[in-house]
Amino acid sequence: MKRFWKSGDPFIWLTGGALAISLLMVAGLVLLVLLNGLGFFWPSPIVLLTLSDGTELLGQVTQREAIPQPDAPPGTSTRYRIQVNVGNRDLYGADFVWVEEAAIARRDVPAEAVLIERREWGNLYGFIKEVRDNERAVASGPEAAWSALQALLPDATSTFKEIRRIEKKEIGAINSTQEKIRLELKKLQLSGQEGGSEIARLDKEMEGWAAKYREQEPRLATVRQHSRQALIVSVIGNKETELPLQQIVRIIRPNSMGVWSKSGVYLSRLWEFISGDPRESNTEGGVFPAIFGTVMMVMIMSLLVAPLGVLAAFYLREYAKQGVLVSTVRIAVNNLAGVPSIVFGVFGLGFFIYLVGGSIDRLFYPEALPTPTFGTGGILWASLTLALLTVPVVIVATEEGLAAIPPGMREASLALGATKFETTWRVVLPTVMPSVLTGLILAMARAAGEVAPLMITGVVKLAPSLPIDGAWPFLHLERKFMHLGFHIYDVGFQSPNVDAARPMVYTTVLLLLLVVLVLNLATILIRNRLRKKYASSAF
Amino acid sequence: MIARRLLLDRLARWVVTLGGAAIIVSILAILFVIAAEVSPLFRKPTAVLLGALTTNLDSAPLAVGVDEYREIVYVVTASGVQFVSVKDGSVLASNRLQGLHGATVVGTSALGRGPFALGLSDGRAIPAEVGFSVTFPEGRRRVEAELTAGDPIAVDPERRPVARLAYASTPNGPMTAAVVGPNAIVLVTVKETKALIGPSMKEESRERLTLPVEGEITQLALDGRGENLFAGTSSGQVIRVDLRNPNEPKVAGITAATIRPGIGVSTMGFLIGDRTLVIGDAMGSVSSWQLVQADSEGQRLAKVHDFLAHTGPVVAFAPSRRDKGFVTADAAGIARIHYGTTGKTLLTLKAADAGLSAVTFAPKADSVMTIDTKGGLSHWTVENPHPEISWGSLFGKVWYEGYPAPAYVWQSTGGTDDFEAKFSLAPLIFGTIKGTFYALLFAIPLALLGALYTSQFMHPTLRGIVKPTVEIMAALPSVVLGFLAGLWLAPLVEQVVPGLFLMPIVTTLLILIAVLCWRFVPIGVRSRVKAGTEVALLIPIVILGGWISFQLGVTIERLLLSGDYRGWLLSVLGLTYDQRNSLVVGIAMGFAVIPIIFTIAEDSLSNVPQHLVAGSLALGATRWQTTLRVVLPTASPGIFSAIMIGFGRAVGETMIVLMATGNTPVMDWSIFNGFRALSANIAVELPEAPEGGTLFRILFLAALLLFVMTFIVNTLAELVRLKLRQRYRSL
Repeated sequence: MKRFWKSGDPFIWLTGGALAISLLMVAGLVLLVLLNGLGFFWPSPIVLLTLSDGTELLGQVTQREAIPQPDAPPGTSTRYRIQVNVGNRDLYGADFVWVEEAAIARRDVPAEAVLIERREWGNLYGFIKEVRDNERAVASGPEAAWSALQALLPDATSTFKEIRRIEKKEIGAINSTQEKIRLELKKLQLSGQEGGSEIARLDKEMEGWAAKYREQEPRLATVRQHSRQALIVSVIGNKETELPLQQIVRIIRPNSMGVWSKSGVYLSRLWEFISGDPRESNTEGGVFPAIFGTVMMVMIMSLLVAPLGVLAAFYLREYAKQGVLVSTVRIAVNNLAGVPSIVFGVFGLGFFIYLVGGSIDRLFYPEALPTPTFGTGGILWASLTLALLTVPVVIVATEEGLAAIPPGMREASLALGATKFETTWRVVLPTVMPSVLTGLILAMARAAGEVAPLMITGVVKLAPSLPIDGAWPFLHLERKFMHLGFHIYDVGFQSPNVDAARPMVYTTVLLLLLVVLVLNLATILIRNRLRKKYASSAF
Repeated sequence: MIARRLLLDRLARWVVTLGGAAIIVSILAILFVIAAEVSPLFRKPTAVLLGALTTNLDSAPLAVGVDEYREIVYVVTASGVQFVSVKDGSVLASNRLQGLHGATVVGTSALGRGPFALGLSDGRAIPAEVGFSVTFPEGRRRVEAELTAGDPIAVDPERRPVARLAYASTPNGPMTAAVVGPNAIVLVTVKETKALIGPSMKEESRERLTLPVEGEITQLALDGRGENLFAGTSSGQVIRVDLRNPNEPKVAGITAATIRPGIGVSTMGFLIGDRTLVIGDAMGSVSSWQLVQADSEGQRLAKVHDFLAHTGPVVAFAPSRRDKGFVTADAAGIARIHYGTTGKTLLTLKAADAGLSAVTFAPKADSVMTIDTKGGLSHWTVENPHPEISWGSLFGKVWYEGYPAPAYVWQSTGGTDDFEAKFSLAPLIFGTIKGTFYALLFAIPLALLGALYTSQFMHPTLRGIVKPTVEIMAALPSVVLGFLAGLWLAPLVEQVVPGLFLMPIVTTLLILIAVLCWRFVPIGVRSRVKAGTEVALLIPIVILGGWISFQLGVTIERLLLSGDYRGWLLSVLGLTYDQRNSLVVGIAMGFAVIPIIFTIAEDSLSNVPQHLVAGSLALGATRWQTTLRVVLPTASPGIFSAIMIGFGRAVGETMIVLMATGNTPVMDWSIFNGFRALSANIAVELPEAPEGGTLFRILFLAALLLFVMTFIVNTLAELVRLKLRQRYRSL
């Protein structure tokens, strides 16, 4: 036994155990996110539960867990309960119900049960009764109505899209132009003009847009009138509900679907998630604006951080006189990478938003005050804040790259008569480019996952419009934006209906994780290649 | 051509030098920008004398008030209320008080609280109110004052002068308290009931009280809720009369409130909110008092603060209508501005040569007006945007209104208008330290042992996989960890707490058993497993360990913890269990910190010069002995810096603590409770904090604290690492 301890093996194994725990945690986390994130879109069967007291429930089983029984004597078998998504929030109030398994008398899987994803009020579970057009039954009975529905749905969807297009694009454009003219008028008033040709012209223009607006209204009414098809669905509890076809996003019968059609639904849902707009306060629909906001913010940040970081690194390594001061500065810059991100957010709020943004507003947008234009959070300020947060990463990576360049390369160029600038530009910069890229990608990965500083510099839970759109000047840097990371926080913790939102948040988590991991893997690959390159090019 | 190239070269030098230096300076300027936002918090308050005017009042002033724009001063004199222009001191055409019938005004209740009452020389009191109307004819501001007076109330049937009185609009109707005789008080409540049709009915109830006074009553104060009446006496007593039962007022307590018995109470009044009583005495001392719940006898008046004393008797008092500030004045012409919550005297103003007779705080708390016995009016502007903030109030215990004792409290917003924001950073700093402590408790053993294994014993091929994996672990966004911790881990942990605490012991034992068994495995099988790949064998063992611990946890809970560990915690240890607690944060934040500590520690461990290790092994030491005696001591500074940097990361982590704790600012070391950290507090409150306000600046201060804390720790770690690198080079 003494030899057992003395050999040291137990301790070595114990240290190995610590590593095993860490590795297991990473693997477990990735697995957890994968399982929860990918499973969400798969259409699970709709079950019809008949409880022992005669109550019926129709919906999808979402969770199963053991019921805690603190007072039970030992040996009692564990009892379970299941959570059922019964949908129909508009009819029942709550859409998630816990049922004890022991209380279930019968479990059926009715083939005709339909799941309707609606634009409002979430899922609807029930049985199709008939299809109506303008209060007149077109087809009744589950099968006939189902096939009639398949023919009518595309038309209803396109009508819905048309209405949305008119509301959002055309009327939206008129509104924003009117707002612009109003601001211009106010600007003229602020500069002291009471009348004159300019104001008259603007007034007239305003009148013209108002007329255009009035033109759109009857058009919208006609389109709305055009489609009055509706679906009658009978739901549990001997109730019927009427649903306009335009309200339907997707209607499926998961119980009579094969693997292929389920895969089709899976892909279509996945596509909707990636490309669609959110519905029902972010708990349904897609996360496209959040993806767009994240990508755009990271891109603006990269545009800023790459030149700034490279310039600073070149100064520190190539131009500044090496000494105590520069090494102090180097340590300080290194340490900035360890300063909490929220501190950068606070700085962004105090400096960019209130100081710089406030000054811009007073100088260039006095007509809109007191409503701030740049004096409030926006994508530009968020990107700038993150650029500041990540610039040390780029500086450090570039500096390391510069230090690794063999001095012979520089000396050869200088010996051939090139000036220092020419050497830097033609020899050093191309050689150090991969390091810059590594630093930049690391910076992007860090920026994509950062949330805390954004919360105070311009991220919102629901942005009315993207930072890029068709209205001049196309790129709206002052706008607030959505972000995947903030979406996770907001929907997971601030959402009124956490049960409905949680599976979707897992998918968002997966998406964010994917972005960050791909970026990180890219840096690891580049770095490995870089090592080989330097190893071979060493003189 | 050459000239152009040289020019370009010089230009490039300029651009890079200027640009690079500018970028670095601007990065480092972060500290200064944040500090600049914080600095106004600690700026000394200032007061400037705007003007000293002589006024032509018809008699000595009793009390003074001013409008919001500081244009018109109103002074209570013997003839009623006189309005005086602040510009030149001229008495404006005043609307005279009706219904005096030859009597004169001899006393008044406290001004500045809406309606007030004037006591007359013939035993009556008149409720009155001063209103200001502000108009903007032709774009210029015009302020006009108006005096409205109610029906006189006959207070003293014996028609003695009513010099001391208090007035409050209570929920039961306006209530007047007046001193009649040396030890008697009359309380008059007028209840107005409005009928739907016809004239409104007025019901007057009258109550006469005789108080156990030594000396005579000198001051009265009545709170706005009509619950308590305080009477100060010439012997220094303050007698509290409980009015909560309106039909039966009773004496509820007598307190000696002045500097010593026999010194009389000379001024008395409430701060805004009517919970803190300020008492000034004939010797010049000023103190604040509030009711606290005593164990047996109900409420008791307790002294909160002593303020800087006056040299002569305190003659006048006025509260601010914005905050807990107030001003006192003495007979020597000195006025002092104090702040009730902090107990600090902020400013001393030499207002007049003659004794002062009245003071007032302007409604916006931006000015103080004093009036002396000869009618001289002094007008001061006061610049004091953050009076409630001092180092003491930010980091020390503060006795807030409604609290039984001084406490550390963070509560930045409240439901009511007279809510007082409580800004103690202590609970937040405590929360940050607590979260960091538990995170490091979880992370340090795992990360250091893992790094030791990876650097010393692991097979190089495996190391090539493990290190990038850990790097990826470092890149996991904290919002993801926070989400999983809050919504997945927290409910899970709640079910398996006993098992979780067993896990380290069980897993360790299991690993030791595994090593023991391994020695009995035939050498043929053993030699097939390469040295340094034990970790692959350990993974199933660790999983098994986890499973056994949870099963054991359930059993132990049933047998020893009476089936419900939460009930057991509460009854035996007195601890409550929050679902989102420090245990969950410790695990989640530990997860975030492990890769950082791991990477740096692994770096310094594997960079220990190889000849040291080789020498030790050659001398016959085992691998473990070499690691423990040679590698670890050599690399210990690197390990120290790894822990420091891990500490820095945990201190500033925001999203995990935001999502995985309940964010309640409590000070409690229990692992089963949550906390609120500095960083999460900033993220939660800054979006709603108005720019330039006190909360805004305090949150900037919190950010500054975080910055300085992490910057110092990181610099320390960096310096240690640099030293270590030099040592390795010299070895």
